[in-house]
Order: sequence, then C-alpha cells, then structure tokens
Amino acid sequence: MELDGIIDWANKNIKAEYVEIRGEELSKLNIELKDGTFSTFTSLKSSGFGIRVLAEGAWGFSSTTKIEELKDAIEKAYKMAKAASRGRYEKIKLADIKIVEDEVKSKMKIKPEEVDVQEKVKRMKELEKELKKDKNVKSTRITYQDTSGTKVLYTSERTKIVWDMGYVWQYIWATGKNERGMAAARDEIGSVDMGWELFQEENTNKVSKRVLKKLNAQLNGVSPKRGEYPVVAGPIIVGIIAHEALGHLAEADLTINSPFRDLIGKQIAPEFVNMSDRIVENGFGNNVYDDEGTKIKDVHIIKNGILTEIMLNREYAARWGMEPNGHARAENYTVPPIIRMRNTVFERGDHSFEELVEGIKFGYYLVDFRGGQAELNSSFQVGVQEGYIIRNGELAESIKDTSISGIAIDALKQISAVGKDFGIEMGRCGKGQTAFVSSGGPHMRFDKGIVVGGQQ
Amino acid sequence: MNLINYGEKFFDELEIAKYKRKEVSVEVELNQISMSSTGDRAVTVIRGIKDKKLGIFIVDSDDEGEIKKGIEQAAKNAMANEKDEKWEGLPGEQKYNAPNIEINYEIKNASPDFFVNLLNEAIKDVRARDERAMVAGGAAGSSWLEMRISNSHGIDIMQEFGSTFMYLYVAGRAGNSVTPGIMDFDVRRDMQLDKDFVVSSILEKLKYAYNTKKSDKNVGNVVMEPLALAELLYFTLIPAISGERKVKNTTPLSDKVGQKVLDEKITIYDDPWHPMSTNPIIADDEGVAARVNKIFENGVFNGFLWDNYWGNISGEGSTGNGTRNLSTGGIGIGVHNLVIEGGKKSKEELIGNIEDGFLVSGFQGAHSSNPDTGDFSVVANPAFKIENGKIVGSTVFMLSGNVYSLLGNVADISREQRKIVVMGNGVVPHMLFENLKIAPVSR
Repeated sequence: MELDGIIDWANKNIKAEYVEIRGEELSKLNIELKDGTFSTFTSLKSSGFGIRVLAEGAWGFSSTTKIEELKDAIEKAYKMAKAASRGRYEKIKLADIKIVEDEVKSKMKIKPEEVDVQEKVKRMKELEKELKKDKNVKSTRITYQDTSGTKVLYTSERTKIVWDMGYVWQYIWATGKNERGMAAARDEIGSVDMGWELFQEENTNKVSKRVLKKLNAQLNGVSPKRGEYPVVAGPIIVGIIAHEALGHLAEADLTINSPFRDLIGKQIAPEFVNMSDRIVENGFGNNVYDDEGTKIKDVHIIKNGILTEIMLNREYAARWGMEPNGHARAENYTVPPIIRMRNTVFERGDHSFEELVEGIKFGYYLVDFRGGQAELNSSFQVGVQEGYIIRNGELAESIKDTSISGIAIDALKQISAVGKDFGIEMGRCGKGQTAFVSSGGPHMRFDKGIVVGGQQ
Repeated sequence: MNLINYGEKFFDELEIAKYKRKEVSVEVELNQISMSSTGDRAVTVIRGIKDKKLGIFIVDSDDEGEIKKGIEQAAKNAMANEKDEKWEGLPGEQKYNAPNIEINYEIKNASPDFFVNLLNEAIKDVRARDERAMVAGGAAGSSWLEMRISNSHGIDIMQEFGSTFMYLYVAGRAGNSVTPGIMDFDVRRDMQLDKDFVVSSILEKLKYAYNTKKSDKNVGNVVMEPLALAELLYFTLIPAISGERKVKNTTPLSDKVGQKVLDEKITIYDDPWHPMSTNPIIADDEGVAARVNKIFENGVFNGFLWDNYWGNISGEGSTGNGTRNLSTGGIGIGVHNLVIEGGKKSKEELIGNIEDGFLVSGFQGAHSSNPDTGDFSVVANPAFKIENGKIVGSTVFMLSGNVYSLLGNVADISREQRKIVVMGNGVVPHMLFENLKIAPVSR
C-alpha cells in the first residue's frame, strides 16, 4: 500500500497531534440455512479506510472506500476534530506506547478460504439433520460466517502493523415444541485463532447434542420461584457475570462513571476471588496488538478480592496516569476504536462441583445464558436458557424461561466458593459496535446476591 | 449498459439495491465533546436467482465496474447454492401510494458545528441545573439515506430521506453511590431538535434517582414508559407477527387471526407515513409498495406481515414488509414504524392514580426474551417507586411474565405518544398494568 507516503503528507500538511489510518480489505462468506433452505448465500467484499485525527485536543473521524480519496478523508477528519475541539475544556492526550513495525500472522491451521464452499454447505445440512432427528425440534436457523483478509494500521508516530486476519463463526437458533409448550435454544461458537479445524473439534454431533440438551431442558422445565436463593453458576454463566456485571464497569470509559471508580485498590470480593481480562487458549477476543497499535497485556481486574486494574486505551491511560493495555477495538474501518473487553474470566479456585452444591436445601444450578445487560449502577441481568433446581444438595428438575439479576458489587461479596474447573464461551458484545469476545471461568457458588426471576 | 440487463446474462431474475448513507455525528463523553465524525458510504447488494438458486453479493461501492464484478460473484454463489423449490419470483411492477411527505434537504448537508453547539448548550444546562449530574455519554447528528431498488421485473424505485437525532445519558453521583443512567432523546425529520425537552426530562428523573427505595412488594401496579414498552414488544410480540413464523407454525398467533388476543384497549399498526415517523418509505427493501398495515385492532389480531418470499408461499402476498440486513444482504420481515394508539388519560393521570406502584423507564435484558413464546424475564432499571400518586425514589426490580398475558390485561393507556428509534422505529404511549408479579433487586 502507499500509506507511508500518505502519512508523510499528513505529517507535513495537517496540523494535528496524531493521525491514524486503519485499512481493511476483507472477503466474507455468510450462509444461512433455515429449515432446509439456504435463505442467505452471500459473499461480501469490504475494503476501506478509517481515519482518526487528534487535533486541538479533540478527535475527528472519517472513512472512505477509496485509497485515492485518503488525503481528502484525512482533511475531513481534521476538520471534524477542530469542530469537536470547541466542545472541550480539557485537551485529550495520548499515553505513550512502544512504536512497532510488525506483521501479525494468522494461527489458523486450515484457513476458511481453503475449504470448498460445498464442504461448508454439507456440514450445515448434517447439523440441521441431526437437530431435526429430535421430534420436538420444529424450526432451526443455522448461520455460518467466515472472513479473511488484511488489516493495516499506520500512524503519524510511525506505527506500522499488518494483520493477516480472519475468523470463523457459527450461530444456531432452534425452536421446539412439545405438549407443555414452546421453547428456544441458542448456541454460538467461533474463533480467530482456529480456522476450519474448529469444526472438527466442534463436530455436528457434539454441537447438536448441546443444543438439544438446552432445548429439552426448557421444554420439560418448570417455572422457577422468583426471589433470592443460593446459586451455583457454571462456567458460561460465571463468564457472562464476569463480562456483563463486572467487565463493563472495568472498561475505563465506563469505570469513570461507575461505582468502580472509587473502589480501585479496595477489597470488593473475598480474597479467593480473582478475575482477569486476558489472552486465553482459543479466546474469541485474542490478538497481539489493539487497534491503536498497543501490545495487549493481561489485565488483573480483581486480584485476591481487590479491584486492581481496569481496561484502557491510550486516551484513558493518559487520563488515569496508567499504562495502555491494549483494549481499543473497532468493529471495522467505518467506526473508530473504543474500549472493549477481550476474554473476561474468573480464575480457578479449589472446590469440586459436589462441594459447591453441598448443603444447598433449595437453590439453582445455572448453566447457559441467552443475552445479558449491565447498567452503570452495577445492576445486571442475564437471561438463562439452561438451569436446574438444586434440592437438598442434588440436581433436580430443569427450569424454563428465566433470568437472573443483582447488583454486581453486592453479589461479588456473596461468592462463597470457587471451583477448580474452567471453561469459556465465545460470543459477541454490543457496545454501539459489535466485538467478538469470550467469557468464562470455573463453577462458582453465590450464597446470596442473585435474584432469580420467575412466573411463580 | 444497464446493470440489470448485464445481470440478466447470468440470472433468471435479478435485483440490485443501492444504499448511500451520509452521516454526521458528534459524541459526548464525561461532560465534553469527545469526537466528531463523518461517514459517506455506499453499499450495493446484488440478489440474483438462477434455476431457483439464490446468490447474493455485497460490495462497499456504487461503482459500475464493482457492481458488474459483484453480479458475476453473486452468480457463482447461486451456482454453489441448492434449488429452493418454494421460490416463486421477485416482485413485479408496483403502484406506489405514499402520501406526499416533505423532505428536509437541510439535513443532507448538516454541519458538525450545529450539533457541537447543541450539545455544548445541553451539557451546560445539565451541569448548571444539577451540579451532581454527569453527562456520561450522548450524541447528536444527522443521517441521510438514498436508496434505489431495481429488479428485472420492472421495479425501479428511488427514495431519499433524512433524520436528525440527539440523546444524552446522564448519571448522578452522591457520595459513593451512582444513580442509574438516565437517557432521553429526540429524533426528527428536520433540524429542530428539542434540546430543552431532553435536558428537562432527564433532570426530572435524576432528581428522584438519588433516593434509592427498596421495595419489599411482590405485586405492584406498573406504568411502562414508551421506551420500556417498546423494548419489551420488539423482542416478544413483534417476532410473532412475522408471516414466516405463521408458515412454520412457530408463533403463538398461528391460528389467532380474527380472534381477540390482546386487551380491547390496544390497537397496533405499522404506519411508515405517521406524522411522527422518521422512516417515511415509499417502498420496502424489495421495492414493494409500502402501506399502512393494521396488526391489532381493539385487541383483535388482524393478520401477519409478509415479505415477497413468504407472502408468495402463503398466498397472502407481500404486505410491503421486506427489510434487508445489510450485513448478509438477506431479506427478512420487519416493521417500518410501529404505532400503538394512545388512550384518553394523560400520563400524569396514570401515575397520579397509583397509591403504591412503579414507573419503568427502561428494561435491562429485553433481548434475552423468548420470541417464540413471548416469555420474558427482565430487570426494570431505571425504574421509580410511586407512592400516593407521586414519584418518591428510584428502585430496581425483576419482572417476569408472558407478553400475551401482559397485553391481555391493560389497565390504561396514555394519550401522549413518543417517537421511538431504539431497536426499530415506533410511536408508543405509556401503558398501565395492574397487579404484576415482581421481585425486588435494589439493595
């Protein structure tokens, strides 16, 4: 690309503190199989540049699809920054980072573009067939998506990073019906580090069994009793609590308005509780650098029960007097990077599952979720799509259509035990832009602090 | 050469949909403008059918050469796809009946300076009227859309319109506690954004949010504000009126056409031309003529919404509700502007008549509801406690139920309606529900 010359031109002609060009050239495939018909069979070519300019202490952003219009786009972003600067009394500053020139190679063993589209089609049909073997399944929607291509980051500070990037992703929605009513189950897997080999591990048999277990647990489930009861949360539920209830509050742009602001350095959970946003094996949020060119570091959000670190971009690192840790992410070239999680997990403890459920006269074991949301006052909600009653220390009947809620900073104090196992889930986070993320952890027990919603 | 003619060399039928969007946006973070941005993006979607096999290609361009390459790639996708025996054809020529809706061309060239000034004044007002208030986030801007849908059956419709928006998200900090974030907004088809309304509405609620009230009640009367009601309905009721679900028998409304399903106080229709609509389309994303569709009339279910594909399969025909997902290029069934008719009382009267109850401004987790059954389990936040007809403080509680039971028993509806643009476009009033089962969450 001719981006070196464009950066030279910008450094000479634009009176800005910082200029950033983020370019993408991606090919995508999106196939959707709905009840025997491939209702979407789409390929997509997406290429363009996102320009961010910091001038007079404020940000301006523009985008273009044409390299020949890049200089115009930089000038537009510069004008935008100057317009924004009239609404600032504090100048935005950027924390220093190590300037790098690097190429980030893909870790995929079998890149999706190397796999014939007919093999992808065949797999989707097999998956549908296996799901529909269950007489309760009335409708299925299977979406497959893959992307491959190149992303580049060039900045006026001479950061030059080229990524060989890509991902694979699969989403299933299954609707079932039996004599007790209707229910639905969601399942989502994806990877940026694994290519088509992900689906050798997550084969159709394994995936369909998992979906059918979730669906039938709800079809045969009872409405839970609403109220505050002891809860044992499995890795997927623990992960979504880590993400929704705590992770968002530890994103520096949200921390500043949340109860976490005044709690940094303070004990907020029992000392056996540890939570991080870090690189995990096959994490959907894995990368080497963020979209500002900062090398990604593990962030120990809660260490021995103490709120220790938060997730930062360069702007907020300067504001907080901390070091950037690589959490600026942009969905694509049409939007600027914002502070996002990557893989948010509770760390392992030392209890067995049996020890966690032991002694619970009445409570819930929660396994999988369907959506979640957090608020600045640390109130969180997580929709539950697989859960069971715990009665006298034993798992009993499954529950249907419920969600859990709580005030995160209160619920944290009610964690009474942490399991020694570990699991993660791949998903997407929406914070204005969509980002691929993972979340997870071990099984954990909350004695109080989690309210279960229910129609009883 | 005409692109449709070019595409007919590869396909039996072909549709080319061009979307050009011009946007200006100014964002707020922490009481200051954080960024100003502009975007000018063209996306073209080619949807072609050969031997009943569908192929789609999307390209970030409206350049003729790129579109020609896209047509060829879409043809390759169609060859890789399987035959859809249910496919009947793209829509044919249409007669468009849209009323003459005034388009404000000022929006097309809106300047970021206008929105910077507007937001600066709004932040200043908020801070001057409540020194504990922080404008945590917000934005204002404009969006101008030009879309042209052409197909090989003679459809060729161009439409353009724009809107402006403004929202603020404000939290209050008192000591170590933070109030729930209070959001309000305005959205218009002109440049007359009502900054004073947005600021006043937020500060009125923030005043109560400082005082947290724990409720120990398990049953309560609840007034849902328009945004909260819309959040719930978009994830529970709206999916159920899709004709695709009727064909697949996966909606609780499958056999309910002509039957009373909701409370007789409820009338709901899809009206893109409502005076408050910000989505005044002439045609849907397949070029089918838009229209007003009555969905529920005095609680009676009038019928499903259809796109061209499912409308053909059912024999009902399209109701002009084909909406395109620009990430996949596929067409689904969607609502253009959901209107819930207002009632007779003012919203103040609805609240004033409650001895002990709640006002809900927003729900957390509406998206985790079950669209197949209408079951929901959500957290009311921001929500407020009402005692003796007055708001006395903020609270958080869980509400679980089923949308058909909920809307089957509505106590009252306000005469005022609000424009809603979150999740989808709509015009929605306040609604009062009595004796709902709740679970308190507040400390």
